Amino acid sequence: MEALFFNSHGGYLEGIVRGFKAGLITQTQYNNLTQCESLDDFRMQLSATDYGNFLANETPPISTSTIAEKATQKLVDEFNYIKSNSVQPLTKFLDYMTYAYMIDNVVLLISGTLHERDTHDLLERCHPLGTFDTMPALCVATNVEELYSTVLVETPLAPYFRDCLSAQDLDELNIEIIRNTLYKAYLEDFHSFVLSLGAPTSDVMSPILSFEADRRALNITINSFGTSLSKDQRAKLFPSLGRLYPEGAFALAKADDVDQVKVVLDGVVEYRGFLEGQTGPGGAGAAGAEGATGQQAASLEDHFFQYEVGLNKLAFLQQFQYGVFYSFFKLKEQEIRSLTWIAECIAQNAKDRINDYIPTF
Amino acid sequence: MASHSVYKDRSFIATIGDEDTITGLLLAGTGHIDGRGKKNFLVVDSKTAVSTIESAFAEFTERQDIAIVLINQHVADQIRPLVDKYEQAFPALLEIPSKDHPYDPSKDSVLKRVKKLFGE
Amino acid sequence: MSGAGPRENVFPTRMNLTTTKTRLKGAQTGHSLLKKKSDALNKRFRTILGKIDEAKRKMGRVMQLAAFSLAEVTYATGDISYQIQESITEATFRVQTKQENVSGVILPTFEPLMSKAEGGNGGFGLTGLGRGGQQITKCRETFAKAVETLVELASLQTAFVILDEVIKMTNRRVNALEHVVIPRLENTISYINSELDEMDREEFFRLKKVQSKKKRDTAVRDAEAKEKRDAAEAAGIEEEEEHEEQEQGENLLAEKDEDVIF
Repeated sequence: MEALFFNSHGGYLEGIVRGFKAGLITQTQYNNLTQCESLDDFRMQLSATDYGNFLANETPPISTSTIAEKATQKLVDEFNYIKSNSVQPLTKFLDYMTYAYMIDNVVLLISGTLHERDTHDLLERCHPLGTFDTMPALCVATNVEELYSTVLVETPLAPYFRDCLSAQDLDELNIEIIRNTLYKAYLEDFHSFVLSLGAPTSDVMSPILSFEADRRALNITINSFGTSLSKDQRAKLFPSLGRLYPEGAFALAKADDVDQVKVVLDGVVEYRGFLEGQTGPGGAGAAGAEGATGQQAASLEDHFFQYEVGLNKLAFLQQFQYGVFYSFFKLKEQEIRSLTWIAECIAQNAKDRINDYIPTF
Repeated sequence: MASHSVYKDRSFIATIGDEDTITGLLLAGTGHIDGRGKKNFLVVDSKTAVSTIESAFAEFTERQDIAIVLINQHVADQIRPLVDKYEQAFPALLEIPSKDHPYDPSKDSVLKRVKKLFGE
Repeated sequence: MSGAGPRENVFPTRMNLTTTKTRLKGAQTGHSLLKKKSDALNKRFRTILGKIDEAKRKMGRVMQLAAFSLAEVTYATGDISYQIQESITEATFRVQTKQENVSGVILPTFEPLMSKAEGGNGGFGLTGLGRGGQQITKCRETFAKAVETLVELASLQTAFVILDEVIKMTNRRVNALEHVVIPRLENTISYINSELDEMDREEFFRLKKVQSKKKRDTAVRDAEAKEKRDAAEAAGIEEEEEHEEQEQGENLLAEKDEDVIF
């Protein structure tokens, strides 16, 4: 039944997104980009792609951050175009997508306020996708109490704040814990929203969000080894969804080192091998062990990215669902990361690492 | 010659540089904010005025608790006369490369002196 | 007189000659010691110069590596710079100064001193908790290593600056001794010597003069005596003879007296 009316609301936008998707940089283009000798060459090569002349107005010594900035701007433009043409419930779906960035932005503003910094400067640093009209209002707040109530009134994130945190928490908890608590609430909320959308969308989105949840759980576990984060606190940050939930998450909460995490991962076919080839007596403790964790970290993160890209690609195989929107922007984000990486490698002459990017299509 | 009391209290590493360099060095743990909220680092971007850099440089070189001042070479270039004039042993002034500006030994004020002494 | 060069303003006495000679000896010993010191410092200086050159180049590479690891962080987590800047409280990476003694010159050396902050992650405990924490840890280590290199370089550079100064000072001293003090003392010595010689010659001349005067006086007296004798011969020989003997004795006595005085 979904499919019957889908096109009347979202058909145009789905077409647009699929068109955008065709504009993602292909493997051949990536190969060309990696051959570049300088950032000027890089720009030349990029102008042959869908990016066109987006760097044309930049003065010659272009830095990698400019490239990332401009590419992000392009992504934001595309997003806004789609969003302004969308109708419910797609609009809501797209809104949900921006919440993730909003969390980062709000957390940034909170930390600025806590340190009594001029929060107006911070507005520039916020991710453009996560901006909302009332954001400047947050800058008015001068103390934590005020900020908390402003957040509750002004931001779409209010439910997450209300449910998870009190004004005191803002002051006392580590900013990272706040961020992750919010993110957990957001993921759970998004997931339930996706489920409410029904069959094709939830079929596609569920695995993606589950993976996101698992990824966070794993990262939090591994990163909290040897830090002041207690196991109880850690367990509270795990989203209550995903392949690892609940038994895996429970085991993760109790894990003391990488090996125990590995055991947990072995229970899920897809994640098996993420920590492969990485032994280590554990993250915490001696410097040698920390070095080992550092080594494996890169590949773990790479595995995550690769798997995420795979999932997002799958989204395009289904029609009449909203997953494509999410996936496209995730892929685009990954593409920007890859481009920045390649640009960085060119700029810093680190050609041996240049192929570590994650190709999308 | 420096007497002992001049440098025994010096323990911090101050930094003047672009955002990436500062972030990295802060990650390494060199950052310090004292009781009065005084930082021992300055982030320089394209909008930072030369006078700001100069006053930060003057402040860091005069503070008694700083052992080493690190400055990005491209930032040092902006206040080159000041850097070239600086000859004190404490705090030690080091020009360091930044991400976007590879290191150019010929500009370094200390290396320039080295070269001069070698008669090149 | 050897007043050609500058000399000290002293009385040319034997006493002063001895003092000046001792001083000259002291100056010469000092000069050779300082020269040795300067050579030792120079040797050290040269090695430091070489090391600095090398370390500066090494730093270029290390910093590039570090910057690259930061790029990895940005790849995995996005921009964290603001977060990092906000979470700064106290330096965990400090330096400690120690001293090293090179031929009497105290050279401070910096040593990295890392204190473990609470949270174990260098005070940034939970940054990158959600994602990229491992990259941040790695980056932190890379940068810590880079800073260690920088600290090492800073030691070298401080040593360079101090040694440069000390060498200049030592060289100034060596040159002052060699070109001012020692020639002056030598001049003084030769001045005193020549003055003393001069005095010797004067003395000798004076003695000669006295002698010749005495000779002349004796000759006159002899002539007088002869006259008297001749006159006495005419008056009465016996009486005169006695008197003459007496006079002769007196003369001898007087001459001796004069000799005693000088």
